Amino acid sequence: MSDSATARAPAGNAGPAQGAAAWRTGAAQAGLILVLLALWEIAARTVLNPFWSSRPSLIAERIWRLALSGELWVHCSITLQEAGAGLLLGAAAGVPLGIALARAPRTAKVVEPVVMGLYGLPRVALAPLFILWFGIGLMSKIMMAFTMVVFIFMLNVMEGIRTIDPDHLDLMRSMRAGRFYLARKVLLPAVTPWILASFRIGVGLALIGAVVGELIGANRGLGWYVEKSGGQLDTTGVFTGLVVLMILAMLANQLIGFVERRTIRWR
Amino acid sequence: MALTDTAPRVRVENLRIAFPRPDAAPLEVLSGISLDVADGEFVAVVGPSGSGKSTILRAICGLLKPAGGRVSVDGRPVTTPPPEVGFMFQKDALLPWCTVAENIRVGAELGGVARAEHAGRVSALIRLLRLDGFEDAFPKQLSGGMRQRASLGRLLAYNPSLMLMDEPFGALDYQTKIVMGRELLRIWEAERRAIIFVTHDIEEAVALADRVVVFSARPARIVADYAVDLPRPRDLRAMRGEAAFVRLTEAIWSDLALPA
Repeated sequence: MSDSATARAPAGNAGPAQGAAAWRTGAAQAGLILVLLALWEIAARTVLNPFWSSRPSLIAERIWRLALSGELWVHCSITLQEAGAGLLLGAAAGVPLGIALARAPRTAKVVEPVVMGLYGLPRVALAPLFILWFGIGLMSKIMMAFTMVVFIFMLNVMEGIRTIDPDHLDLMRSMRAGRFYLARKVLLPAVTPWILASFRIGVGLALIGAVVGELIGANRGLGWYVEKSGGQLDTTGVFTGLVVLMILAMLANQLIGFVERRTIRWR
Repeated sequence: MALTDTAPRVRVENLRIAFPRPDAAPLEVLSGISLDVADGEFVAVVGPSGSGKSTILRAICGLLKPAGGRVSVDGRPVTTPPPEVGFMFQKDALLPWCTVAENIRVGAELGGVARAEHAGRVSALIRLLRLDGFEDAFPKQLSGGMRQRASLGRLLAYNPSLMLMDEPFGALDYQTKIVMGRELLRIWEAERRAIIFVTHDIEEAVALADRVVVFSARPARIVADYAVDLPRPRDLRAMRGEAAFVRLTEAIWSDLALPA
Protein backbone atom coordinates (compact mmCIF):
# COMPACT_ATOMS: atom_id res chain seq x y z
CA MET A 1 0.00 0.00 0.00
CA SER A 2 1.39 3.33 -0.95
CA ASP A 3 0.17 5.04 2.20
CA SER A 4 1.22 2.48 4.78
CA ALA A 5 4.83 3.31 3.98
CA THR A 6 4.40 6.67 5.66
CA ALA A 7 2.92 5.20 8.85
CA ARG A 8 5.10 5.37 11.90
CA ALA A 9 5.84 2.08 13.61
CA PRO A 10 3.09 1.28 16.11
CA ALA A 11 3.83 1.38 19.83
CA GLY A 12 7.35 2.77 19.52
CA ASN A 13 8.12 2.98 23.23
CA ALA A 14 11.22 4.09 25.10
CA GLY A 15 14.24 2.84 23.20
CA PRO A 16 17.76 2.74 24.63
CA ALA A 17 18.50 6.31 23.46
CA GLN A 18 15.43 7.64 25.28
CA GLY A 19 16.40 5.70 28.41
CA ALA A 20 19.86 7.28 28.45
CA ALA A 21 18.37 10.76 28.01
CA ALA A 22 16.02 10.13 30.93
CA TRP A 23 18.98 9.10 33.07
CA ARG A 24 20.89 12.23 32.12
CA THR A 25 17.91 14.41 33.01
CA GLY A 26 17.50 12.61 36.33
CA ALA A 27 21.18 13.06 37.15
CA ALA A 28 20.98 16.77 36.32
CA GLN A 29 17.91 17.16 38.54
CA ALA A 30 19.61 15.43 41.46
CA GLY A 31 22.74 17.50 40.83
CA LEU A 32 20.82 20.78 41.02
CA ILE A 33 19.27 19.77 44.36
CA LEU A 34 22.68 18.81 45.76
CA VAL A 35 24.20 22.12 44.63
CA LEU A 36 21.40 24.09 46.30
CA LEU A 37 21.78 22.10 49.53
CA ALA A 38 25.55 22.62 49.44
CA LEU A 39 25.13 26.38 49.00
CA TRP A 40 22.74 26.46 51.95
CA GLU A 41 25.13 24.44 54.10
CA ILE A 42 28.10 26.66 53.21
CA ALA A 43 26.13 29.87 53.72
CA ALA A 44 24.88 28.67 57.11
CA ARG A 45 28.44 27.84 58.17
CA THR A 46 29.84 31.23 57.00
CA VAL A 47 27.56 34.24 56.52
CA LEU A 48 24.18 33.13 57.92
CA ASN A 49 23.27 32.45 61.54
CA PRO A 50 22.02 28.84 61.69
CA PHE A 51 19.64 29.88 64.47
CA TRP A 52 17.52 31.55 61.76
CA SER A 53 18.35 29.49 58.73
CA SER A 54 19.26 26.07 60.18
CA ARG A 55 21.52 23.84 58.03
CA PRO A 56 20.87 20.87 55.73
CA SER A 57 23.12 18.68 57.89
CA LEU A 58 21.12 19.55 61.03
CA ILE A 59 17.86 18.91 59.21
CA ALA A 60 19.10 15.57 57.88
CA GLU A 61 20.15 14.61 61.38
CA ARG A 62 16.72 15.59 62.75
CA ILE A 63 14.92 13.61 60.07
CA TRP A 64 17.11 10.62 60.90
CA ARG A 65 16.29 10.92 64.61
CA LEU A 66 12.55 11.28 63.99
CA ALA A 67 12.66 8.30 61.67
CA LEU A 68 14.40 6.16 64.28
CA SER A 69 11.92 7.11 67.01
CA GLY A 70 8.98 6.38 64.70
CA GLU A 71 7.68 9.91 65.17
CA LEU A 72 8.37 10.81 61.51
CA TRP A 73 6.12 8.05 60.32
CA VAL A 74 3.28 9.11 62.65
CA HIS A 75 3.30 12.73 61.44
CA CYS A 76 3.72 11.81 57.77
CA SER A 77 0.97 9.24 57.82
CA ILE A 78 -1.47 11.60 59.57
CA THR A 79 -0.85 14.45 57.13
CA LEU A 80 -0.92 12.10 54.14
CA GLN A 81 -4.19 10.56 55.29
CA GLU A 82 -5.77 13.99 55.65
CA ALA A 83 -4.50 15.29 52.31
CA GLY A 84 -5.11 11.99 50.51
CA ALA A 85 -8.66 11.57 51.79
CA GLY A 86 -9.45 15.21 50.96
CA LEU A 87 -7.98 14.79 47.47
CA LEU A 88 -9.94 11.62 46.75
CA LEU A 89 -13.16 13.11 48.11
CA GLY A 90 -12.54 16.20 45.99
CA ALA A 91 -12.15 14.03 42.89
CA ALA A 92 -15.18 11.91 43.78
CA ALA A 93 -17.34 15.02 44.11
CA GLY A 94 -15.70 17.32 41.56
CA VAL A 95 -15.54 14.97 38.56
CA PRO A 96 -19.24 14.06 38.44
CA LEU A 97 -20.20 17.65 39.24
CA GLY A 98 -18.00 18.89 36.39
CA ILE A 99 -19.47 16.37 33.95
CA ALA A 100 -23.02 17.19 35.03
CA LEU A 101 -22.52 20.95 34.72
CA ALA A 102 -20.81 20.63 31.35
CA ARG A 103 -23.72 18.56 30.06
CA ALA A 104 -26.32 20.99 31.45
CA PRO A 105 -25.15 24.43 30.30
CA ARG A 106 -28.28 26.20 31.54
CA THR A 107 -27.89 24.89 35.10
CA ALA A 108 -24.20 25.74 34.85
CA LYS A 109 -25.08 29.36 34.05
CA VAL A 110 -27.34 29.53 37.10
CA VAL A 111 -24.80 28.13 39.56
CA GLU A 112 -21.78 29.88 38.02
CA PRO A 113 -21.75 32.97 40.31
CA VAL A 114 -22.06 30.79 43.42
CA VAL A 115 -19.30 28.46 42.25
CA MET A 116 -16.97 31.29 41.28
CA GLY A 117 -17.69 33.03 44.58
CA LEU A 118 -16.77 29.95 46.57
CA TYR A 119 -13.77 29.35 44.32
CA GLY A 120 -12.55 32.90 44.82
CA LEU A 121 -12.92 32.68 48.59
CA PRO A 122 -9.53 32.26 50.30
CA ARG A 123 -10.47 28.87 51.66
CA VAL A 124 -7.60 28.71 54.16
CA ALA A 125 -9.71 31.24 56.07
CA LEU A 126 -12.28 28.48 56.62
CA ALA A 127 -9.88 26.58 58.89
CA PRO A 128 -11.09 28.10 62.21
CA LEU A 129 -14.69 27.35 61.22
CA PHE A 130 -13.88 23.76 60.29
CA ILE A 131 -12.05 23.21 63.57
CA LEU A 132 -15.22 24.40 65.34
CA TRP A 133 -17.47 22.21 63.23
CA PHE A 134 -15.40 19.04 62.90
CA GLY A 135 -13.06 19.16 65.92
CA ILE A 136 -9.28 18.93 65.97
CA GLY A 137 -9.20 15.36 64.61
CA LEU A 138 -8.77 14.13 61.05
CA MET A 139 -12.14 15.30 59.79
CA SER A 140 -11.50 19.04 59.92
CA LYS A 141 -8.27 18.64 57.90
CA ILE A 142 -9.88 16.32 55.38
CA MET A 143 -12.56 18.93 54.83
CA MET A 144 -9.91 21.63 54.47
CA ALA A 145 -8.09 19.60 51.82
CA PHE A 146 -11.42 18.83 50.15
CA THR A 147 -12.43 22.47 49.82
CA MET A 148 -9.01 23.30 48.40
CA VAL A 149 -9.24 20.75 45.57
CA VAL A 150 -12.89 20.13 44.73
CA PHE A 151 -13.16 23.17 42.44
CA ILE A 152 -9.95 22.22 40.65
CA PHE A 153 -11.50 18.91 39.63
CA MET A 154 -14.83 20.46 38.75
CA LEU A 155 -13.49 23.30 36.61
CA ASN A 156 -10.90 21.14 34.86
CA VAL A 157 -13.41 18.44 34.00
CA MET A 158 -15.84 21.06 32.67
CA GLU A 159 -13.09 22.45 30.48
CA GLY A 160 -12.14 18.94 29.38
CA ILE A 161 -15.69 18.17 28.29
CA ARG A 162 -15.83 21.47 26.42
CA THR A 163 -12.77 20.50 24.39
CA ILE A 164 -14.27 17.21 23.18
CA ASP A 165 -14.29 16.98 19.39
CA PRO A 166 -17.92 17.57 18.30
CA ASP A 167 -17.36 14.95 15.60
CA HIS A 168 -16.96 12.34 18.34
CA LEU A 169 -20.31 13.32 19.82
CA ASP A 170 -21.99 13.32 16.40
CA LEU A 171 -20.40 9.98 15.61
CA MET A 172 -21.81 8.44 18.77
CA ARG A 173 -25.18 10.03 18.10
CA SER A 174 -25.25 8.78 14.50
CA MET A 175 -24.64 5.25 15.79
CA ARG A 176 -27.32 5.66 18.44
CA ALA A 177 -24.92 5.13 21.35
CA GLY A 178 -26.55 5.10 24.77
CA ARG A 179 -25.68 7.51 27.56
CA PHE A 180 -23.55 4.95 29.38
CA TYR A 181 -21.65 3.95 26.25
CA LEU A 182 -20.99 7.61 25.43
CA ALA A 183 -19.64 8.23 28.93
CA ARG A 184 -17.42 5.14 28.84
CA LYS A 185 -16.03 5.57 25.33
CA VAL A 186 -15.88 9.34 24.91
CA LEU A 187 -16.51 11.49 27.98
CA LEU A 188 -14.37 9.67 30.55
CA PRO A 189 -11.37 8.99 28.29
CA ALA A 190 -11.49 12.59 27.07
CA VAL A 191 -11.43 14.01 30.59
CA THR A 192 -8.90 11.53 32.00
CA PRO A 193 -5.90 13.75 31.16
CA TRP A 194 -7.74 16.67 32.80
CA ILE A 195 -8.48 14.59 35.89
CA LEU A 196 -4.84 13.57 36.17
CA ALA A 197 -3.75 17.19 35.71
CA SER A 198 -6.16 18.07 38.53
CA PHE A 199 -4.50 15.49 40.75
CA ARG A 200 -1.14 17.01 39.91
CA ILE A 201 -2.30 20.49 40.94
CA GLY A 202 -4.44 19.07 43.75
CA VAL A 203 -1.63 17.28 45.60
CA GLY A 204 0.00 20.53 46.62
CA LEU A 205 -3.31 22.20 47.44
CA ALA A 206 -4.54 19.25 49.49
CA LEU A 207 -1.31 19.34 51.50
CA ILE A 208 -1.84 23.08 52.05
CA GLY A 209 -5.37 22.40 53.26
CA ALA A 210 -4.26 19.66 55.64
CA VAL A 211 -1.30 21.65 56.98
CA VAL A 212 -3.31 24.84 57.49
CA GLY A 213 -5.83 22.79 59.46
CA GLU A 214 -3.01 21.36 61.55
CA LEU A 215 -1.50 24.79 62.18
CA ILE A 216 -4.80 26.03 63.59
CA GLY A 217 -5.75 23.10 65.75
CA ALA A 218 -4.20 19.64 65.97
CA ASN A 219 -2.03 17.42 68.11
CA ARG A 220 -0.27 15.46 65.37
CA GLY A 221 0.87 15.81 61.77
CA LEU A 222 3.63 17.65 59.94
CA GLY A 223 1.82 21.00 60.13
CA TRP A 224 1.48 20.57 63.85
CA TYR A 225 5.19 19.67 64.08
CA VAL A 226 6.10 22.87 62.20
CA GLU A 227 3.82 24.93 64.44
CA LYS A 228 5.15 23.33 67.62
CA SER A 229 8.80 23.78 66.56
CA GLY A 230 8.17 27.41 65.66
CA GLY A 231 6.69 27.98 69.11
CA GLN A 232 9.89 26.61 70.63
CA LEU A 233 12.13 28.77 68.38
CA ASP A 234 13.39 25.49 66.87
CA THR A 235 14.14 26.54 63.26
CA THR A 236 15.65 23.15 62.47
CA GLY A 237 12.32 21.59 63.45
CA VAL A 238 10.40 24.04 61.26
CA PHE A 239 12.65 23.35 58.29
CA THR A 240 12.47 19.61 58.94
CA GLY A 241 8.67 19.74 58.69
CA LEU A 242 8.85 21.81 55.53
CA VAL A 243 11.47 19.60 53.89
CA VAL A 244 9.48 16.46 54.65
CA LEU A 245 6.33 18.10 53.23
CA MET A 246 8.26 19.04 50.12
CA ILE A 247 9.57 15.51 49.70
CA LEU A 248 6.05 14.12 50.09
CA ALA A 249 4.70 16.51 47.45
CA MET A 250 7.52 15.56 45.08
CA LEU A 251 6.93 11.84 45.58
CA ALA A 252 3.20 12.29 45.01
CA ASN A 253 3.96 14.20 41.82
CA GLN A 254 6.22 11.40 40.63
CA LEU A 255 3.47 8.89 41.36
CA ILE A 256 0.95 10.89 39.36
CA GLY A 257 3.41 11.30 36.50
CA PHE A 258 3.85 7.54 36.49
CA VAL A 259 0.08 6.96 36.44
CA GLU A 260 -0.25 9.55 33.66
CA ARG A 261 2.30 7.80 31.50
CA ARG A 262 0.60 4.45 32.03
CA THR A 263 -2.99 5.55 31.41
CA ILE A 264 -2.62 8.03 28.55
CA ARG A 265 -0.30 6.17 26.26
CA TRP A 266 -2.46 7.32 23.31
CA ARG A 267 -1.23 10.91 23.52
CA MET B 1 -28.89 1.52 -12.61
CA ALA B 2 -31.99 3.10 -11.13
CA LEU B 3 -34.05 0.47 -9.36
CA THR B 4 -37.37 2.10 -10.14
CA ASP B 5 -39.45 -0.91 -9.10
CA THR B 6 -38.58 -0.56 -5.41
CA ALA B 7 -39.36 2.27 -3.00
CA PRO B 8 -36.49 4.71 -2.52
CA ARG B 9 -34.20 4.16 0.48
CA VAL B 10 -33.96 7.88 1.03
CA ARG B 11 -36.54 10.46 0.10
CA VAL B 12 -35.75 14.13 0.59
CA GLU B 13 -38.65 16.45 -0.23
CA ASN B 14 -38.32 20.19 -0.51
CA LEU B 15 -35.75 20.24 2.31
CA ARG B 16 -34.92 23.65 3.69
CA ILE B 17 -32.27 24.19 6.34
CA ALA B 18 -31.31 27.47 7.96
CA PHE B 19 -28.89 28.16 10.79
CA PRO B 20 -29.83 30.86 13.29
CA ARG B 21 -27.30 33.68 13.56
CA PRO B 22 -26.93 36.31 16.24
CA ASP B 23 -27.67 39.81 14.94
CA ALA B 24 -28.69 38.61 11.48
CA ALA B 25 -31.36 36.76 9.57
CA PRO B 26 -30.96 32.96 9.68
CA LEU B 27 -28.37 31.68 7.23
CA GLU B 28 -30.23 29.63 4.65
CA VAL B 29 -28.05 26.71 3.60
CA LEU B 30 -30.43 24.44 1.69
CA SER B 31 -33.40 25.92 -0.10
CA GLY B 32 -35.86 23.32 -1.30
CA ILE B 33 -33.80 20.24 -2.11
CA SER B 34 -35.59 17.12 -3.35
CA LEU B 35 -33.67 13.91 -3.87
CA ASP B 36 -34.46 10.18 -3.98
CA VAL B 37 -31.84 7.51 -3.53
CA ALA B 38 -32.64 3.94 -4.59
CA ASP B 39 -31.46 0.78 -2.86
CA GLY B 40 -27.89 -0.11 -3.72
CA GLU B 41 -27.36 3.18 -5.51
CA PHE B 42 -24.09 5.10 -5.27
CA VAL B 43 -24.92 8.80 -5.42
CA ALA B 44 -22.28 11.50 -5.35
CA VAL B 45 -23.07 15.08 -4.39
CA VAL B 46 -20.75 17.81 -5.67
CA GLY B 47 -20.91 21.54 -5.27
CA PRO B 48 -18.89 24.60 -4.30
CA SER B 49 -17.47 24.60 -0.79
CA GLY B 50 -19.87 25.91 1.81
CA SER B 51 -22.82 24.93 -0.36
CA GLY B 52 -24.49 22.69 2.20
CA LYS B 53 -23.35 19.32 0.89
CA SER B 54 -22.50 18.13 4.39
CA THR B 55 -25.69 19.66 5.73
CA ILE B 56 -27.92 17.39 3.67
CA LEU B 57 -26.07 14.33 5.00
CA ARG B 58 -26.54 15.54 8.55
CA ALA B 59 -30.25 16.02 7.93
CA ILE B 60 -30.62 12.52 6.47
CA CYS B 61 -28.77 11.14 9.50
CA GLY B 62 -31.07 13.00 11.87
CA LEU B 63 -28.25 15.10 13.32
CA LEU B 64 -29.91 18.34 12.13
CA LYS B 65 -33.50 19.54 12.27
CA PRO B 66 -34.90 20.86 8.98
CA ALA B 67 -36.51 24.28 8.85
CA GLY B 68 -38.91 22.93 6.26
CA GLY B 69 -39.60 19.91 4.09
CA ARG B 70 -39.28 16.25 4.90
CA VAL B 71 -36.62 13.56 5.06
CA SER B 72 -37.48 9.89 5.24
CA VAL B 73 -35.39 6.75 5.24
CA ASP B 74 -37.09 3.50 4.22
CA GLY B 75 -40.42 5.30 4.36
CA ARG B 76 -40.05 6.51 7.96
CA PRO B 77 -39.65 10.21 8.68
CA VAL B 78 -36.25 10.98 10.21
CA THR B 79 -36.32 12.58 13.64
CA THR B 80 -33.46 10.75 15.36
CA PRO B 81 -30.60 8.86 13.66
CA PRO B 82 -32.15 5.89 11.82
CA PRO B 83 -30.57 2.51 12.67
CA GLU B 84 -29.82 1.62 9.05
CA VAL B 85 -27.73 4.73 8.45
CA GLY B 86 -23.99 5.02 9.04
CA PHE B 87 -22.00 8.24 8.80
CA MET B 88 -18.37 8.71 7.81
CA PHE B 89 -16.76 12.03 8.61
CA GLN B 90 -14.25 14.09 6.67
CA LYS B 91 -11.98 14.07 9.67
CA ASP B 92 -11.59 10.42 10.59
CA ALA B 93 -13.25 10.96 14.00
CA LEU B 94 -11.29 8.01 15.39
CA LEU B 95 -11.23 7.96 19.18
CA PRO B 96 -7.59 8.86 19.93
CA TRP B 97 -7.57 6.79 23.14
CA CYS B 98 -8.67 3.62 21.33
CA THR B 99 -6.44 1.42 19.18
CA VAL B 100 -7.34 0.69 15.56
CA ALA B 101 -9.01 -2.59 16.59
CA GLU B 102 -10.92 -0.91 19.43
CA ASN B 103 -12.11 1.87 17.13
CA ILE B 104 -13.43 -0.63 14.61
CA ARG B 105 -15.00 -2.59 17.44
CA VAL B 106 -17.08 0.49 18.38
CA GLY B 107 -18.94 0.00 15.09
CA ALA B 108 -19.62 -3.66 15.87
CA GLU B 109 -20.72 -2.89 19.43
CA LEU B 110 -23.17 -0.20 18.37
CA GLY B 111 -24.27 -2.06 15.25
CA GLY B 112 -26.04 -4.70 17.29
CA VAL B 113 -23.53 -7.42 16.43
CA ALA B 114 -23.63 -10.30 18.93
CA ARG B 115 -20.79 -9.96 21.44
CA ALA B 116 -19.31 -13.33 20.46
CA GLU B 117 -18.86 -12.12 16.89
CA HIS B 118 -17.15 -8.79 17.66
CA ALA B 119 -13.59 -10.09 17.51
CA GLY B 120 -14.19 -12.04 14.30
CA ARG B 121 -15.84 -9.08 12.61
CA VAL B 122 -13.03 -6.75 13.63
CA SER B 123 -10.24 -8.99 12.42
CA ALA B 124 -12.05 -9.66 9.13
CA LEU B 125 -12.31 -5.91 8.51
CA ILE B 126 -8.68 -5.36 9.46
CA ARG B 127 -7.72 -7.85 6.79
CA LEU B 128 -10.21 -6.44 4.26
CA LEU B 129 -8.82 -2.92 4.74
CA ARG B 130 -5.21 -4.10 4.84
CA LEU B 131 -4.58 -2.78 8.32
CA ASP B 132 -2.82 -6.00 9.40
CA GLY B 133 -0.05 -5.32 11.88
CA PHE B 134 -1.62 -2.04 13.01
CA GLU B 135 -4.44 -3.47 15.15
CA ASP B 136 -2.85 -2.20 18.36
CA ALA B 137 -1.61 1.12 17.03
CA PHE B 138 -3.19 4.34 18.24
CA PRO B 139 -4.61 6.71 15.59
CA LYS B 140 -1.79 9.26 16.04
CA GLN B 141 0.67 6.61 14.93
CA LEU B 142 -1.06 6.17 11.56
CA SER B 143 -0.86 8.03 8.26
CA GLY B 144 -3.92 9.91 7.02
CA GLY B 145 -4.80 7.13 4.58
CA MET B 146 -4.66 4.45 7.24
CA ARG B 147 -6.75 6.53 9.60
CA GLN B 148 -9.48 6.87 6.99
CA ARG B 149 -9.20 3.15 6.37
CA ALA B 150 -9.79 2.50 10.06
CA SER B 151 -12.67 4.95 10.01
CA LEU B 152 -14.16 3.07 7.04
CA GLY B 153 -13.62 -0.13 9.02
CA ARG B 154 -15.68 1.24 11.88
CA LEU B 155 -18.44 2.23 9.46
CA LEU B 156 -18.46 -1.23 7.88
CA ALA B 157 -18.43 -2.90 11.31
CA TYR B 158 -21.56 -0.92 12.14
CA ASN B 159 -22.94 -2.57 9.00
CA PRO B 160 -25.33 0.14 7.81
CA SER B 161 -27.37 -0.53 4.68
CA LEU B 162 -27.12 3.17 3.86
CA MET B 163 -23.73 4.87 4.11
CA LEU B 164 -23.42 8.64 4.26
CA MET B 165 -19.88 9.74 3.47
CA ASP B 166 -18.89 13.36 3.99
CA GLU B 167 -15.79 14.07 1.89
CA PRO B 168 -14.20 10.99 3.45
CA PHE B 169 -11.05 11.19 1.31
CA GLY B 170 -10.97 14.98 1.02
CA ALA B 171 -7.97 15.45 3.29
CA LEU B 172 -5.84 12.77 1.61
CA ASP B 173 -3.15 13.23 -0.99
CA TYR B 174 -4.06 12.43 -4.59
CA GLN B 175 -2.52 8.96 -4.77
CA THR B 176 -3.98 7.81 -1.47
CA LYS B 177 -7.34 9.15 -2.54
CA ILE B 178 -7.29 7.00 -5.69
CA VAL B 179 -6.28 3.95 -3.64
CA MET B 180 -9.08 4.57 -1.15
CA GLY B 181 -11.62 5.10 -3.93
CA ARG B 182 -10.61 1.78 -5.42
CA GLU B 183 -11.01 0.06 -2.04
CA LEU B 184 -14.41 1.61 -1.54
CA LEU B 185 -15.59 0.44 -4.98
CA ARG B 186 -14.24 -3.06 -4.33
CA ILE B 187 -16.25 -3.23 -1.11
CA TRP B 188 -19.35 -1.58 -2.56
CA GLU B 189 -19.38 -3.82 -5.64
CA ALA B 190 -19.34 -6.86 -3.38
CA GLU B 191 -22.18 -5.70 -1.12
CA ARG B 192 -24.09 -2.95 -2.96
CA ARG B 193 -25.16 -0.81 -0.04
CA ALA B 194 -26.70 2.55 -0.87
CA ILE B 195 -24.11 5.32 -0.58
CA ILE B 196 -24.44 9.09 -0.60
CA PHE B 197 -20.94 10.42 -1.12
CA VAL B 198 -20.27 14.13 -0.72
CA THR B 199 -17.14 15.49 -2.38
CA HIS B 200 -15.79 18.65 -3.94
CA ASP B 201 -13.74 16.58 -6.37
CA ILE B 202 -15.72 16.25 -9.62
CA GLU B 203 -13.51 13.53 -11.07
CA GLU B 204 -13.79 11.49 -7.91
CA ALA B 205 -17.58 11.81 -8.03
CA VAL B 206 -17.82 10.67 -11.65
CA ALA B 207 -15.30 7.88 -11.17
CA LEU B 208 -17.09 6.32 -8.22
CA ALA B 209 -20.82 7.00 -8.49
CA ASP B 210 -23.86 5.84 -10.46
CA ARG B 211 -25.29 9.31 -10.25
CA VAL B 212 -23.83 12.76 -9.65
CA VAL B 213 -26.02 15.46 -8.13
CA VAL B 214 -24.70 19.01 -8.54
CA PHE B 215 -25.46 21.62 -5.88
CA SER B 216 -25.41 25.36 -6.51
CA ALA B 217 -23.67 27.82 -4.22
CA ARG B 218 -25.45 28.70 -0.94
CA PRO B 219 -28.40 28.60 -0.51
CA ALA B 220 -28.11 25.31 -2.35
CA ARG B 221 -30.46 24.05 -5.01
CA ILE B 222 -29.90 21.05 -7.25
CA VAL B 223 -28.71 22.41 -10.60
CA ALA B 224 -28.11 19.08 -12.35
CA ASP B 225 -28.47 15.34 -11.80
CA TYR B 226 -26.40 13.09 -14.07
CA ALA B 227 -26.56 9.33 -14.56
CA VAL B 228 -23.01 8.02 -14.93
CA ASP B 229 -23.12 5.40 -17.70
CA LEU B 230 -19.65 4.04 -17.23
CA PRO B 231 -19.32 0.25 -17.08
CA ARG B 232 -18.48 -1.53 -13.83
CA PRO B 233 -16.20 -2.76 -12.46
CA ARG B 234 -14.34 0.45 -13.13
CA ASP B 235 -10.66 0.93 -13.64
CA LEU B 236 -10.09 4.25 -11.97
CA ARG B 237 -6.93 4.99 -13.94
CA ALA B 238 -7.87 3.93 -17.44
CA MET B 239 -11.25 5.64 -17.07
CA ARG B 240 -9.80 9.10 -16.78
CA GLY B 241 -8.90 9.10 -20.49
CA GLU B 242 -12.29 7.84 -21.74
CA ALA B 243 -14.49 10.18 -23.77
CA ALA B 244 -17.62 9.59 -21.66
CA PHE B 245 -15.70 10.39 -18.47
CA VAL B 246 -14.22 13.57 -19.88
CA ARG B 247 -17.59 14.71 -21.32
CA LEU B 248 -19.32 14.26 -17.98
CA THR B 249 -16.69 16.02 -15.90
CA GLU B 250 -16.67 18.90 -18.41
CA ALA B 251 -20.46 19.20 -18.16
CA ILE B 252 -20.25 19.37 -14.36
CA TRP B 253 -17.45 21.93 -14.45
CA SER B 254 -19.66 24.18 -16.57
CA ASP B 255 -22.67 23.59 -14.28
CA LEU B 256 -20.57 24.98 -11.48
CA ALA B 257 -19.94 27.97 -13.74
CA LEU B 258 -16.21 27.53 -13.57
CA PRO B 259 -14.26 28.62 -16.63
CA ALA B 260 -12.32 25.84 -18.36
